[in-house]
Amino acid sequence: MSKQYLTLHTIDNAHPSDVFALAAKKTQLLSASGSSFIRVYDTTQPDFPLRQTIDGAHPLGIHHLVTAKEAEKAASAGFEGKVRIWRAGEDGEWEAVGDITDSNKPGSIWAIALSADGAYLASSSINGKINVWSLSEASMPQIRSYETKGSFGLCVDLSADGRFTASGHENGSIYIFNNDSGRLSHSVAGLVQPIRAVAFSPASKLVAAAGDARIIALYDVLSGEQIANFTGHGGWVLSLDWSDTGEYLLSGSHDSKAKIWRIETRSCVATHSHGDRPLWTARWLPKSTRSEMFALGGGNQAISFYREAAG
Amino acid sequence: MEAQDLEDILFGIPSSQDSLESCWNDDSDDDMLDVWDPFGTQSTHAPHSPSVEITWVISHIEKIFENIGAGLSEEDGELSIMLKTRSKKTRREPGISIEPRPSEPSGLRAIKFPGGTVQESWRFTVLVRILELIHSGLTDNTTISKRDLYYRDPDLFVKQSVVDRYVDDLACTFGVSRSLLNVTAAAKGLVAGNFVIYRTDGSSVKGLSEKDGLLVPTLHDTDIVDISSVRWVLVIEKEATFRSLLSSHQWGTLSLECLMLTAKGYPDLASRTFLRRIADGSPWTPMFALVDFDPDGIAIMSTYKHGSFRLAHENVTTCGTPSLSLPQLRWLGVQGHQLQQSLLMERSTNDGTVGGDQGVLRLTARDRTKACRMLEWEICAAGGPEPEWRRGLQTMLMLNVKAEMQILEELPGGLPKWLARELAAKQGGEADAEGLSTTSGQHRLR
Repeated sequence: MSKQYLTLHTIDNAHPSDVFALAAKKTQLLSASGSSFIRVYDTTQPDFPLRQTIDGAHPLGIHHLVTAKEAEKAASAGFEGKVRIWRAGEDGEWEAVGDITDSNKPGSIWAIALSADGAYLASSSINGKINVWSLSEASMPQIRSYETKGSFGLCVDLSADGRFTASGHENGSIYIFNNDSGRLSHSVAGLVQPIRAVAFSPASKLVAAAGDARIIALYDVLSGEQIANFTGHGGWVLSLDWSDTGEYLLSGSHDSKAKIWRIETRSCVATHSHGDRPLWTARWLPKSTRSEMFALGGGNQAISFYREAAG
Repeated sequence: MEAQDLEDILFGIPSSQDSLESCWNDDSDDDMLDVWDPFGTQSTHAPHSPSVEITWVISHIEKIFENIGAGLSEEDGELSIMLKTRSKKTRREPGISIEPRPSEPSGLRAIKFPGGTVQESWRFTVLVRILELIHSGLTDNTTISKRDLYYRDPDLFVKQSVVDRYVDDLACTFGVSRSLLNVTAAAKGLVAGNFVIYRTDGSSVKGLSEKDGLLVPTLHDTDIVDISSVRWVLVIEKEATFRSLLSSHQWGTLSLECLMLTAKGYPDLASRTFLRRIADGSPWTPMFALVDFDPDGIAIMSTYKHGSFRLAHENVTTCGTPSLSLPQLRWLGVQGHQLQQSLLMERSTNDGTVGGDQGVLRLTARDRTKACRMLEWEICAAGGPEPEWRRGLQTMLMLNVKAEMQILEELPGGLPKWLARELAAKQGGEADAEGLSTTSGQHRLR
């Protein structure tokens, strides 16, 4: 059974370079790109007006941008090697809180993830190390450090409850760490090829992983067993995002296609094309009273919003 | 050489030293980066870090200039350069570079100005001029052939052998191989295509005469270059790809309308000078670069287009030589989106390469550091003149992949077909420009 999603709105030239990351808040969508600024769009208006531009966030461009689901916090990682933490005031304006500086060399952090409450940040690195940082303390210290086999950690995620960290690596490894015990829970049989996206389901029961193998694999967090495979992408899978309810998984690929997968039936229910350049990022917007919505950003420098067709 | 020039050199030093000082400070982290990588393309197998030796040579040359400057400011000061002649030594094998060491007193000779004879004064001038050219080559990261050096000032040098002798004497004096001075024996670039050079003596050089391409010829002011049949110029990073195109069966047709050049990596001065003469004579002929999709590929393209990146904003070289930049040079490939179109979607196997595609490789730590460094270049900055380069570098970093141009040869139809398609796409909107080029005729190049 397929679903219909309609293009709601497209912001052309959202950035003067590839849009590398989108991150949603309840009423806002944040975007980051190869340019130095972060943009904030109002998602409550039909034309998604630009609400704020944070200039000079990262001079060489921004490769990762994430938000906390339930806290007014965001984090960005730039090509110059810094990780910057942001906070939104009551008026919805974002401002910098500080940089993660504790005992990491500039440039060693690659992917980042925030826990739902914004208290923790997980980071992957080029040398394979996975770290967790506490953002509730003023100095934002590193509180966990996990060693892996040294393969580039291309992606990382924190479970919503903050209990687990998952990482995907260039050599195809996928690791699940228990943040309570500070130990490795599972080294998951990977997909051999680079893993470019990992994502915990909202209830933290499942973790999805995908990459150059063009297959999306679902694993059980507790047992570490693989429970499903989604095939259909023709290009490298670069991004994964679960819908709020955990019913759907949104994936974006290097071949500019986005797909929506229904977890229950393990099938692809919709495919959308976002120009002819890599689709770097695909994100659901938090469910409001309206129907399900998602946003796509990529090499065509535009951000497109889609809405589930009523019916 | 005019006295004015000499003064320029001498008094120009403090400022040029400032910039060198900063380049020196950078060096601790540049060692690994090799940002300008003059050795990546040469046969030098220096046992020690080459950039350390380069900075040593640069500072040595500057010391000589400082001494001359000091001599000038003294009332009865004498200007002299100590030179070691190689008469008693066996010639050092180029390529074997040893640790720089202080010169031994034996075999040393002081060349003075004003010397006892006119001859000696001339010798001094020649040395200063050669040192200046070598210094700018080193700081600019350009490789110069002995032939290039000679043609920078033929009136002064009189004949080629003078340059040859003093360059080797200087290398010997510094105790380094000649290649460490960024001076090569001859042009390293190859060129092929439908052009003819007419010399004043009635001889001519035809680009199509050699089926393996010609060494990049030196163009004299009086030469006439006929490129009226050339509809596009292609600059290729790698010799292998250049040769593979020459040996393809489509070359017979392609060659009639193009000029193709490879400098085998980072371009030498001879290749850049040649291209600049072509561009000056026929500015409407489109020029394209075909380089690897990696930081070095973009850096090589940048050297062709903007010269040394440190001086890119000035668009001139330090010693007042004419700019050799090629502003019309455009990036034909390999670009990030071409990877996607051609390869990434089509195959998947599990050997060492990414996605099983030959020629698609992971970035090394050096590649990543270099790409990040390049993002800081003015020309690659946000809002700068080369947004596509910035995008290319960021794409490499995001995917952690690079690709060699050989991947194009594995496409159906190979490189010639890819070339034809990409050229058609790039030239699609340039019908007017092409119309012009057909009316161009013979050009007498400056």
